[in-house]
Amino acid sequence: MFIVTMDPTKCVGCRNCEYACSYNRAGTCSSEESNIQVNFYPDENACIPMTCMHCEEAYCLSVCPAGAISRNEETGAVIINENLCVGCKMCMLACPYGNIHFDSAKQVSRKCNLCDTDEPNCVKHCIAGALNFEEVEEYDGNRKDCDGIIMRALKEGGDK
Amino acid sequence: MHVVIIGNSAAGLSALESFRKENKDAKVTLISKEGGIAYSRVLLPYYLRGKADHDNFFIRDKKYYEDMDVDYIEDTVECVDDKKKVISLEKGDKISYDKLLIATGSRAVSPPIPGLDAEGVYNMWTLKDAENLEKYFIKGKRVMVLGSGFVSLQAAWAARFKGLEVTIVELVSRIMPNVLDDKGAELLSDSIRELGADLRVNTMTEKIEKLEDGSFRVYTKDNEPFEVDFIVVGTGVRANIALVDGTDIKTDRGILVDEFMETSVKDIFSAGDVAQGPTTFGDKHIIHALWPTAIEMGKVAGNNLAGKNFPYEGSLNMNTTQMFELTVSSMGRFNEGEGDRVEVLDGSVFGGKGYIKLVFENDKVIGATAVGSTNIVPLLGKLRPLIRKKTVIDVPVEKLGAYLHLQIAKSNPRNIMKSIKSS
Ligand SMILES: Cc1cc2nc3c(=O)[nH]c(=O)nc-3n(C[C@H](O)[C@H](O)[C@H](O)COP(=O)(O)OP(=O)(O)OC[C@H]3O[C@@H](n4cnc5c(N)ncnc54)[C@H](O)[C@@H]3O)c2cc1C
Ligand code: SF4
Ligand code: SF4
Repeated sequence: MFIVTMDPTKCVGCRNCEYACSYNRAGTCSSEESNIQVNFYPDENACIPMTCMHCEEAYCLSVCPAGAISRNEETGAVIINENLCVGCKMCMLACPYGNIHFDSAKQVSRKCNLCDTDEPNCVKHCIAGALNFEEVEEYDGNRKDCDGIIMRALKEGGDK
Repeated sequence: MHVVIIGNSAAGLSALESFRKENKDAKVTLISKEGGIAYSRVLLPYYLRGKADHDNFFIRDKKYYEDMDVDYIEDTVECVDDKKKVISLEKGDKISYDKLLIATGSRAVSPPIPGLDAEGVYNMWTLKDAENLEKYFIKGKRVMVLGSGFVSLQAAWAARFKGLEVTIVELVSRIMPNVLDDKGAELLSDSIRELGADLRVNTMTEKIEKLEDGSFRVYTKDNEPFEVDFIVVGTGVRANIALVDGTDIKTDRGILVDEFMETSVKDIFSAGDVAQGPTTFGDKHIIHALWPTAIEMGKVAGNNLAGKNFPYEGSLNMNTTQMFELTVSSMGRFNEGEGDRVEVLDGSVFGGKGYIKLVFENDKVIGATAVGSTNIVPLLGKLRPLIRKKTVIDVPVEKLGAYLHLQIAKSNPRNIMKSIKSS
């Protein structure tokens, strides 16, 4: 399937994606209303955009006690039906990546639904090529390698 | 092969779905005492509060049972004969099985207080309870909630939200011991009182008297009696294990299962609230009585019913709710005494209100509680894999946000990974 891939090494932290998502969803340009979040850590010199990866084994989906989360058969997107959601927040606790947010006006949870288009809004408005709408394969790379990069990034102030 | 699943809820259905992914051909029979389409207990308080309507209760539909190709029997299983591999139903039928899953859940139990058996005294445990309670959930009615655990307080909040006069009576000195640490319990207690509910801790209920007009007079030790229109009892739950009496299936508070959800008798499995299984911390037999645990155990049981060698990584308790205008969450071992170091962070560090407390043991995080605004809940979610993997966290806790995101980038199976690698 196609998902929004995120490349922290290209992200410049402009938050255009957040504003695009928020505008599309809620009609305002506010980071708080966005389903994609850009996490900026100046000390670590790291900029990490984060949005739902529509996991194959989506824990949020299997855990929802209201049957409100399902998979869109066509796009593969993991979506929340806000008419069924009771706002219990179990999915927020379940997602290991922090990709479920809360709509406090409607008192329901919300997440990326890939905009139901060929090019999600966040990707369209990314100025740095950090977000792409790509077909993904499962990761099977060398984990140790990456551990090193991350720990260095943390301790020595970035890998850029 | 004939597989019989007893229980039409979180654990039973999770097992059924996992089994069917592996095995499309075997005959499967599903049995439920409560009958009907599966519904979710978790939604009861949301229904009483008016957040969910009656249709929302049902988390599957009729077609689901056809798609899953199950024979669905609405009856109570009275006993299991593990020697002959036969179960007996209340209506008289006997059914033989090759493999059996017991996912009968738990039930609410009441303390031995005189007068609690009258009409107008309810638990909040089944769909029927909610339907009975609904007619009382009218502004101005007076309710006593007996007990102050997770479920009782949800009932109390639903009632208060609807404008009822709520009195919560708790025997011991603090509320919600299974979900909150002392500090969280204090914050929530303040919020409960500020929002107009009468919370009485250290209070022993001696007897309940039914009055002529149908209301109740409640006598508590050392206090004046008070009157209410109805009572919700939420003082504890018991696993539904009576059906295995007389078998070789080992039980304690629940049915003891190993990491494959198998009981001490071959080919008999158990999962969910009724099963006492392994935790991520190495305990052998614990009951969490939580929805996510029931889903996970069900998945493990379903795979093993299908003959796969599928061990459980162990349960990790997690709980969250929003009540009395606070979001409270917890995970793992969150009490001070359970680790060797505690770190408390102001919620503002993660862009929220309230606090988050982390408990460490040998620099590994083993649990956390968060009380305050909603946006600290995802942080707990991100901690869960680290608790499970027993990761040593060697960065200062203020750096936890950055650390967690980099951890995610590192372990992310689907994408970020490849870009960090190529950098
Ligand atoms: C009001 C309320 C709120 C809750 N909120 C939360 C929450 O916010 N978060 C959370 O994690 N958990 C919550 N829980 C707990 C959660 O609902 C349970 O952990 C979960 O339902 C357990 O699932 P289960 O499949 O093991 O058992 P159950 O849901 O109890 O289902 C048992 C099934 O077995 C059947 N059965 C029982 N005995 C027999 C028999 N002898 N013969 C045939 N069939 C039988 C029943 O009909 C039923 O289908 C809540 C519970 C309640 C009551
Ligand atoms: S919300 Fe989280 S768990 Fe659910 S599909 Fe997205 S990334 Fe996976
Ligand atoms: S908050 Fe809504 S979508 Fe999330 S688990 Fe609860 S009911 Fe399901």
